[in-house]
Amino acid sequence: MPKQVTRREFLRLAVAGAASPWLLACASGEKERAVNFFNWSKYIGKDTLPGFTKATGIKVNYEEFADEQEMFAKLRSGARGYDLIIGSDYMIPSLKGPNIIDPFPPGVLKNLANIDAKFLNTPYDPDNAYTVPYLWGTTGIGYNKKHMPKPPTSWWDLWDEKYSGKVSMLDNARDCVSTGLLLKGYPETATDENAFKEVRELLVKQKPLVKQYSSTQYMDSLVAGELFMAMAWSGDVLQAARENPQLDYVIPKEGSYMWVDNLCLVRGSQHREDTLRLVDYLLEGPVGAEIANTVRYATPNAEAKKSLDKSLLKDPRVFPPAEITKRLNFHSLLEPDVQQIWTDTWEDVKAAG
Amino acid sequence: MRTIIAAPEDSALKETSSVERALSWLVRGKDPRASHAMLIPATLWLLCFLLLPVASLLAMSLATRGPYSSVIWTFTWANFARALDHKYLVIVLRTVGYALSTTGLCLILGFPMAYFLSFYAGKRRETLMILLMIPFWTSCLVAIYSWIIILGRAGLLNNTLLWLGVIKTPLLILNTPFSVILGLVYFYLPFMILPLFSSLEKIPRTYIEASYDLGAGTIETFVKVTLPLALPGVFAGCILTFVPCIGDFLTAEFLGGPKTYLIGNLVQNQFLMAQDWPFGAAVTSVLLLSLISGVYLYQRLESQELERA
Repeated sequence: MPKQVTRREFLRLAVAGAASPWLLACASGEKERAVNFFNWSKYIGKDTLPGFTKATGIKVNYEEFADEQEMFAKLRSGARGYDLIIGSDYMIPSLKGPNIIDPFPPGVLKNLANIDAKFLNTPYDPDNAYTVPYLWGTTGIGYNKKHMPKPPTSWWDLWDEKYSGKVSMLDNARDCVSTGLLLKGYPETATDENAFKEVRELLVKQKPLVKQYSSTQYMDSLVAGELFMAMAWSGDVLQAARENPQLDYVIPKEGSYMWVDNLCLVRGSQHREDTLRLVDYLLEGPVGAEIANTVRYATPNAEAKKSLDKSLLKDPRVFPPAEITKRLNFHSLLEPDVQQIWTDTWEDVKAAG
Repeated sequence: MRTIIAAPEDSALKETSSVERALSWLVRGKDPRASHAMLIPATLWLLCFLLLPVASLLAMSLATRGPYSSVIWTFTWANFARALDHKYLVIVLRTVGYALSTTGLCLILGFPMAYFLSFYAGKRRETLMILLMIPFWTSCLVAIYSWIIILGRAGLLNNTLLWLGVIKTPLLILNTPFSVILGLVYFYLPFMILPLFSSLEKIPRTYIEASYDLGAGTIETFVKVTLPLALPGVFAGCILTFVPCIGDFLTAEFLGGPKTYLIGNLVQNQFLMAQDWPFGAAVTSVLLLSLISGVYLYQRLESQELERA
């Protein structure tokens, strides 16, 4: 009998012992000062977050995504624990619709004034309630000068059979279908079935030439010379160009799209106050400059422009001059049912034999 | 000959009866409550991690997709109708083709390896088994990236061949069907070798000696004794390779290109990119049902074969 008691006692102790760190963690969880930041991969300065932690004592748990749709799927399926995310302009309605993001409390961000006025009160967020602009960039063609002595000038170069197996396309409906509509002469807001049929045919026709549909891997392939040309985002190519100076970036003559990535507050966040401090910190001029200098995307922060590398500021691939800007558009905001046609079109292209 | 094959059947019968005895002890034991209690963990496990997910998958496959990738619980067969659409037939056939080629290659490569391990490896067997298991211990993604480094245009393989002067221009290996098959064979080869090895191990060496004593040669002994006795391992290995190959998407995603889009990629895309969860669930259900009925039919056939024998 006594033996049994000791065994039971032992078990009880063991269970208590095993559970105590967890209980402690739960108890202290509320007091912990931290921000859980979910950002695009390769999209922040090297010293940005350590600098914030040093200045405020607030820890940043940093996680990266390589694909915006995957980030959306994660949050949409109820992933908890993220406080701050990045959303592109055209994603804002999808994030707002199902209540994934919260509006910013007015008047808290004292550095919001640093943002260039033309990035405020935009169509995707008219009252500037839900978004704080972080970086902006363009979609174009990244290419390897060694293999492309005559630089590409047109989107159609990606359809040129000469480069079969040497080109890649971004793996998402937004970039590929919008380019298809542009090349077929339709407005981005088209809803007519024929337009999408033509876009599908156009992209399927290109498929045998495409080495990979990829939104991240293409950078390594460009650096390695695996790809000659890739539909790409500006800063990604310019980052890769540090590793391989032969890489260059061009906005095709037919025109293309520009986009703004925004900081958004996740609904249900447990660290709102700390998150707002981080957002305000990211808006500081020198901080914004450090980020842009690292990731080679354009900053919407007028104050940050002052401490930007001169070479970056003058780089027409980062800050396109007026004659190129007039060929650039923001993506249109689409109704959910039209968005569905876009994803279906892209799915059909990928599934096609 | 007949007596030789009959012997393991007897032991198999004995095995089932001992399993049955164990079950009856569990279910109709002296204290049924105690025996039932012992089944609780496994039952809960199956309920929580198999039945509930499959049930919710089936439920979702009959729901409708709503705006912003929401799921509306209105009943519809539309997802199944779409999953069986002919435009996806190409993907199904392609996937089955890749899975069959992988299984075939694994068998061709795996059988000699398992045979060697079982009959000739001797003292080195343990070391060889560990070497065989090492790929299991590394992350699948790390292995995939290593293959990318090896197979790339400026990768190890191409550079070596260029240096040796075997080729003049780099070969295009990465992002082709070849690199996908290579990746699949690499990942699933152990799944083939291990069941083969265990069934070869079970063959009593006395049978083989008896076959030699009765005047059969090496080849005849292999074809008439070893191979028939190893067949359960061959089938188990083929199923263990074929079934996961059908659902694989990582290999095709990283080592493949636009032309190697498989069912796994279609499903993954529905959940992550296209945000059409009901359709993704329908494709998964169809896949699951066909695999389960396939394996079930195979087992029926196998037991009938055994009975006839």
